[in-house]
Parts: sequence; C-alpha cells; structure tokens
Amino acid sequence: MVTQSNKDNRLELVGQSAARVFFGHTVLCLGLIFMLSPIVVIIASSTHLTSTLQQQGLQWLPGNQALENYGRIFKFEAGFTDQITPLAMLVNSLVVATSVAVLTTLFSLLTAYAIVFFRMPGKHIIFWTVLVTLLFPLESRFVNTFSVTVSLGLINTYAGIVLPVLAAALGTFFFRQFFLSLPKELIEAASLDGAGPFRFLKDIVVPLSYSRAGAIFVIAFMIGWNQYLWPLMITSDDSLYTLVRGIRFIGQESGPGMALVVITILPPFFLLLGFQRWFFNSLSSQ
Amino acid sequence: MSKVQLANVRKTYPNGAEAVCGVDMEIQSGEFIVFVGPSGCGKSTLLRMVAGLEKITDGEIHIDDRLINDVSPADRDVAMVFQNYALYPHMTVRGNMSYGLKNRGMPKAEIDQKVTDAAKMLRIADFLDRQPNQLSGGQRQRVAMGRAIVREPKVFLFDEPLSNLDAKLRVQMRIEIKRLQRRMNVTSIYVTHDQTEAMTLADRLAVINDGKIEQMGSPIELYNNPATLFVASFIGAPQVNLMPVSFDGNSLVSGDVNILGFTDLPTDTDLVLGIRPDDMHLDDNGQFPLRVDIVEQHGADNLIYGGVLGAAMRGEDETEFCFKAGQNMLPDLETTLKLGFNAERAMVFNKATGERLR
Repeated sequence: MVTQSNKDNRLELVGQSAARVFFGHTVLCLGLIFMLSPIVVIIASSTHLTSTLQQQGLQWLPGNQALENYGRIFKFEAGFTDQITPLAMLVNSLVVATSVAVLTTLFSLLTAYAIVFFRMPGKHIIFWTVLVTLLFPLESRFVNTFSVTVSLGLINTYAGIVLPVLAAALGTFFFRQFFLSLPKELIEAASLDGAGPFRFLKDIVVPLSYSRAGAIFVIAFMIGWNQYLWPLMITSDDSLYTLVRGIRFIGQESGPGMALVVITILPPFFLLLGFQRWFFNSLSSQ
Repeated sequence: MSKVQLANVRKTYPNGAEAVCGVDMEIQSGEFIVFVGPSGCGKSTLLRMVAGLEKITDGEIHIDDRLINDVSPADRDVAMVFQNYALYPHMTVRGNMSYGLKNRGMPKAEIDQKVTDAAKMLRIADFLDRQPNQLSGGQRQRVAMGRAIVREPKVFLFDEPLSNLDAKLRVQMRIEIKRLQRRMNVTSIYVTHDQTEAMTLADRLAVINDGKIEQMGSPIELYNNPATLFVASFIGAPQVNLMPVSFDGNSLVSGDVNILGFTDLPTDTDLVLGIRPDDMHLDDNGQFPLRVDIVEQHGADNLIYGGVLGAAMRGEDETEFCFKAGQNMLPDLETTLKLGFNAERAMVFNKATGERLR
C-alpha cells in the first residue's frame, strides 16, 4: 500500500478504495465505542443519585450528584471496627499491587537470567516446570494454596495475599525470550572487559531490560490490583481490605459505589500512562 | 609487545568433534599473524582459545612465557574485536570504551585521557556521546577497535572484523587496521576467510584446514611456494589453474593434452598440475588449447576463462583454466587460444595427499 500526493497536495492511499477505507474506519470506531462504553457508563453513573440508578439502571449521561457522591466516599467508614475507609483501602491496594509488581519483575528477571546465562544441570526442567504453572491459575488450586499459606502462618498478612499470586511464569518466559535474543558476543565482550556474572547483570542485562521490565511491572501491577478471590479467602481482618473488596460495602449499585469504582480504575490508568512508552516499545519490538 | 606460543593445542568438543588437532606456533612480539581458511576449519576456535572464550582440551598456550590455559579472559591481557562489533547497545561510545577500564578500577581521569586519545587516533572523537545505534557500520567497527585499544593489551585479537562491512569500506578499514597495528606495534592475531585480507595484512600467514595448519609463512612465500594443493588453491586470486594429470616418464598427460618440461615424477600416481593465471601467456606453440567461454574486464586486466580442449575431466566438469591478460586482449567467445606457461613456476601435487612434488 503506497501513499502518494496528487496535484491537490492531499495524500491518497493508492490501491485502497474509499469504500474500504470507510469500512475500516467504521470497524475501528465501533470497536472503540464497544471498549470505552463501560467506562463512560461508570463515570456517568457515578454522578447520579443512588435512587436514579436503582430505578432506571445505569446511566449514559452525567448527572448532578458528582460532588455529593465523591464526597460521601471520603467520609465513609464501615466494617466491624470502622477500619474500612477508602484511604485505607487505597493504601492496601497499592501495597498489594506494588508488591506483586516488584516481586514478579525481580524474580522473573533473576530466574530468566540464571536459566539463560548459566550452565546448570536441569535448567530446562526448571524452565518448563515454571511454565507449567501457567496451567494452574490460583482459582484452580486455591484449596491447596490456602492450606499451605495457613501452615506458613500467613493468614491476615500482606505476604499471604501477595506471594501466592506472583505471576512468575509469565515474566520468566518473557525475559527468557529476550535474553535468548541477545548476541552471544555481548557476554564474551563483557567477559573480556572483566565483567563477571554479577557485573554483567547489573551493567548490561538490567539496563537493556528496562522497557521489558516496565511492561511486566504494569501487567503484574494490574494482576495485583484486581485480586478479589484470594484476598477474600486469606484475610478476615478489616484493615487489610483492598479497594475492589470495599466497593461491596459502599453499595454496588449506588452513586458513591460507582464513584469508588472510578477511583479504583485511576491508579492503574495513571501507571499505564506513565509507562506506556516502555510498554508499547517492548511488546512490539523484536 | 608480547610473544605468543602455542604448543600442541587441541580442541575436542564433548560430542567428539575435533575442531583443532594439534597446532604449534610461535608468534613474535609485534607480529601481525593472520589465520586464514574456509568456514569451519577451526581458525576462530583457535583464536577464541587464545582469548579464553573456549576451553583448551589439550596443549599449552603461553603469552610472554606465562601459561594462560586456566587464566580467565579478563586476566589474560588480551583484547578482541568481534565480527558483529558486540558493542553494549545502551552505553554511549565513551561508555563502551571505558567499561573495561572501569572494571579494572582505573581512576576516572586516566580513563578519560585514554578514551580521548584512542578516539582521536580512530577519528571517532566526535561520536563519543552517541549510542551505537546512531552510528554506521564502519564507525561501530572503529568503536570496537577503540574499546580494544584503550586496554593496551599484550595481544590484539580480531575475529573477521570486516565481514559485515561493504566492499569499499572493507578496503579502507583494512588499511586503517594495518596502519594502527604498525603504529602501536602490538602483537596481533587476525582471523579471516578472505584471502585478500590475509595476503595484505599479514606479516605471516597461517593457512588452516580441518583443524591443522597446512602452511605458515609470509604471504608471498605461500603464494610462490605453496606446500600443499590446498594452500595453492586457497591463496591467490584468481584461483590457481588445476588440471588432473599423470606422468608417463616423459611428459604430463591429461586426456589428449601432453605437457613437456617435467621430469622426475612418480609414474603411477594421480597428480595435479597447478599454474597460476598470471604465469600463462599467449603462445602459438603453446601446449594448452583454450576455448574462450568468458572474458571478464577488470579495468587494467582481463581474465579469460575457458575449457582446456582435450584435457581430462576434473570430476564431473571439464578442466577450466583462467588466463590473465592486459585490457586490450579481447578474444571472441568460442574461439580457441593457444597458451604457454612459465615452466619454472608450475607446480605439481600428489592428488591424494595434496603434497607438492615439484
């Protein structure tokens, strides 16, 4: 498909009829509407009275209750010991999500480094075992994981929430593919320059991995942020409630509930905005 | 300035493959040695054993009388220039050149001085703050050389550094490398499969085949006096003309072609006659009738290729000769030329062993 400018100084797509261009754009716009509509509905609904939402369903157009709804959230206290406040829940969500993101990125990178750059007996077995864990998401094994976590004494702790949900397999696979694509001569040149395994990791592998680490960080953050089932199982302590659990307390189909949903969406959104250059570069580059 | 000694060096891989089968060599201080040979002959493996990137299965390597078999690459005081440059992509040119020195704990001021000096020598001083992906192939190669130079090593190692460059750049860089090496007087080992590079760069040349050194000597020695059929065919462009012959007591016989002027050769063995294209000339009484197939005009010289009429077949193909002539020699295709040759410079080899008999 070649572009050329005609005498009118407009760019034409040679070989593409107007109908085809129109069709393409229509499909894309419909897709965009489809993806964005839930968010539009949520934001709009968050500015209405609870009674409006309950009688007339979710709203498409904004209302006039924005200030009241958002204000209600920040004054909200609930739960057995009044510890479930939006701020507390936000902090918990941030702690869990950031821990999952940091630990996932760190462990995956180190595991992939060991698997790719060292001669280690059984490293293929280790890699495939790690990969096989992708077949066993938490939802398929939570009873066993629960027993193990309890026996380790991790009930009602951040560690108990974070450790079983680390997305290590995904990260390990991703970094491994990247490390395998690095030219062998790079290690040799570094070795001649006096870089042992640790220096090579610190000075060369890690800097080259920044954009990929950014992508894994964002994905793992989302996973941690959206955790619902597992924290529900492993914590009963109100002070450990995360935002996604707290929505139930405020009222799922209420105005303030919708407002809390909007607030819940924001941190991952800002994170993705901040990391987007790295994220898209690393996922689309070879 | 250091000498390098290889004594019976062997490399055998775990699966039994022998890459290097007993190499002995003494490289004098400041010499530019070139290892040349076809792909897979073991020349790169040999270089990498000197660098410490491959374990030595057997034998010993000494640099300046120090046994380095079990010394790590960084402690051998060697520097290597790779075929694909192997620059650190996330560091600037300055970073690339100073990394090795930083790891050695050199003070920053000294590092900066060395980097600046090397950059000036290689004419890359303007690029010190650029990253490798902002440089052309030739510039990257110079950065790779700069990285080796700043370390002031005992030995420079080059692993086919010019293979990734275009033809014109290759010629330029070849001259730069030679100039640099002369100026710095550092012992250098250079690996290439390009015989022109080998001939022009080397003080001494080692032709390697199947893990063994076929012959080692100055380039012109190898050209004029190849010890084996392999060396004769590998060195020299265009390639030496070869014809399967046998000796009947008086002359060399190949099919219908009879070549006089040879004596004292075994009569019951298959032989190969080798004559270089520039040792042939037009001669009405010449013993080689050549049917002209292709005329290549190279500017100052013309190369005329064609089949030798009546000669024995070389395997499945007819014996083809190449004849070097001036630019005015433009015979028509399919005509027959009669060629004579300089008998003193002709070579005869034992076909089975490759050994040179005359």
